[in-house]
Amino acid sequence: MLHVAEQIEKAAQAVQKHWSSTPRAGIVLGSGLGSLADEIAVEKTIDYADIPHFPKTTALGHEGQLVCGTLENVPVVAFQGRFHLYEGYSAEQAALPARLTKALGANVLIVSNAAGGLNPHYAVGDVMLIEDHMNFLFTNPLIGVNDDNLGPRFPDMSSPYDAEFMEIAIRVARREDFVLHRGVYLAMRGPTYETRAEYRMARRLGGDVVGMSTVPEVVAARHANMRVLGLSTVTNVGSPDAPTGTTGHDVINAAQAAANKLTKIVRAVVASLR
Amino acid sequence: MLELYDQIQAAAAAIRSQWDHTPRAGIILGTGLGGFADRIESAVAIDYEKIPNFPRSTATSHRGRLVCGMLEGVPVMAMEGRFHQYEGYPLKQITLPVRVMKAMGADLLIVTHAVGGMNPYYVPGDVMIIDDQINLMGDNPLIGINDDRLGPRFPDMSAPYTPELIAVAQEIARRENFPVQRGVMVAVTGPNLETRAEYRFLRMIGADVVGMSTVPEVIVAVHSGMRVFGLSVITDMCFPDSLKPANIDEIIAFANSAEPKLRSLVLGVVAHEKARG
Repeated sequence: MLHVAEQIEKAAQAVQKHWSSTPRAGIVLGSGLGSLADEIAVEKTIDYADIPHFPKTTALGHEGQLVCGTLENVPVVAFQGRFHLYEGYSAEQAALPARLTKALGANVLIVSNAAGGLNPHYAVGDVMLIEDHMNFLFTNPLIGVNDDNLGPRFPDMSSPYDAEFMEIAIRVARREDFVLHRGVYLAMRGPTYETRAEYRMARRLGGDVVGMSTVPEVVAARHANMRVLGLSTVTNVGSPDAPTGTTGHDVINAAQAAANKLTKIVRAVVASLR
Repeated sequence: MLELYDQIQAAAAAIRSQWDHTPRAGIILGTGLGGFADRIESAVAIDYEKIPNFPRSTATSHRGRLVCGMLEGVPVMAMEGRFHQYEGYPLKQITLPVRVMKAMGADLLIVTHAVGGMNPYYVPGDVMIIDDQINLMGDNPLIGINDDRLGPRFPDMSAPYTPELIAVAQEIARRENFPVQRGVMVAVTGPNLETRAEYRFLRMIGADVVGMSTVPEVIVAVHSGMRVFGLSVITDMCFPDSLKPANIDEIIAFANSAEPKLRSLVLGVVAHEKARG
């Protein structure tokens, strides 16, 4: 893992060559949520291809560029497109956005994703505040020799998601009068959607939503002692007893419908950093 | 994953040079079930090492050859011996034969395997129609860049085992008056058998039987748009509170004892597919 620090350093230098501000937060935009980047007063857009060690994103609904600018007058970077294990990337590569954010000088990571609802109280288009997560990816971005400059060997995971950010999000939802759940995100590798038996398992284990991303980024962010806000958009509801099919395009349509709620929460949390 | 397409074509061409038919179904025969291949008429048996890109079967009681011929007047390809994750093969390689079956024209995959039973209502020698599966292998054969020629990026898995064929098999068992179970199979990597604590965990998450195969092949079949029929043969019972060491001879004996039921169900499903036209 000692090579990671070098890779991140090179990637950060490349970004700083195009954009010299110091961001306060990094925002990772999940499937169909790329439009959140439209809210940013863009100063510079950098293709992932121009960032050393950044892989090419192959996922549907992910554009593959870094948007640099300000949101609520706070300098931020937004990752339009992330790296998934199902694309064949390692957990370490999946964690790159978190580590680049930290290397650019920000101490806040905001992650969003499209997820399948397991909790029967959730409906398509709902937003869930990630209160906690379960790593069912069978891997971890921190496997290997630990680089003590990046973080400790055994990072604490007792509360990976920042309590103060969660309070802000809950206040926004109350004020704007929309449903905001608070629950557990369970990450699986994919790319197959879950079978009915897998949905039942994930629910019985304590998951409220299930997805294929986010956990590697959050693990790396906590390793780097960053504050994390996590938001899931419920894009389909896994009802094992009355199954209906799911396609990647259904997921993207539902995610776009929830983008408005997500934007309000992200704006408020970013504004709190001023 | 894009080079996979060429590997599939090369393997299919090698098989076609020895057996020039369009198979209707592919069949995978698991531990102790290899004898079923004797039912296939005017058979051409091709050793796996003669087929480009096919791995070699290293598992006990798996012979390692592809038997192509007629079953109930239907052209089929049967694998006598399959590949497992615990043998060290990547899931893409394990599932290559399913891709080849599809490329040659098969639109039905029949999978069979020996499993440990965890549902207390099951007894050794029982046959279970697989209704659903849990992938606990920590891996997936579709990881990597998706080749859209082979299937979609995110395959739906809400009914991996074709419900119509489950109903057909249940009807056969009723008609021929033998018990058949229907349940959930969980796949783990192995090769060690489960600890007592692991059996409790697997039962708790909703599985009726546990095995070390089949899930990767079924994922690829669903990705390819194939219909799937699966049978588990319960060869030993895995009760965490009265666990006995597994005995491979007993496992193979129970697998053999289930052969008549397995035969009825597989032949019945193949005949049903033939009648579908």
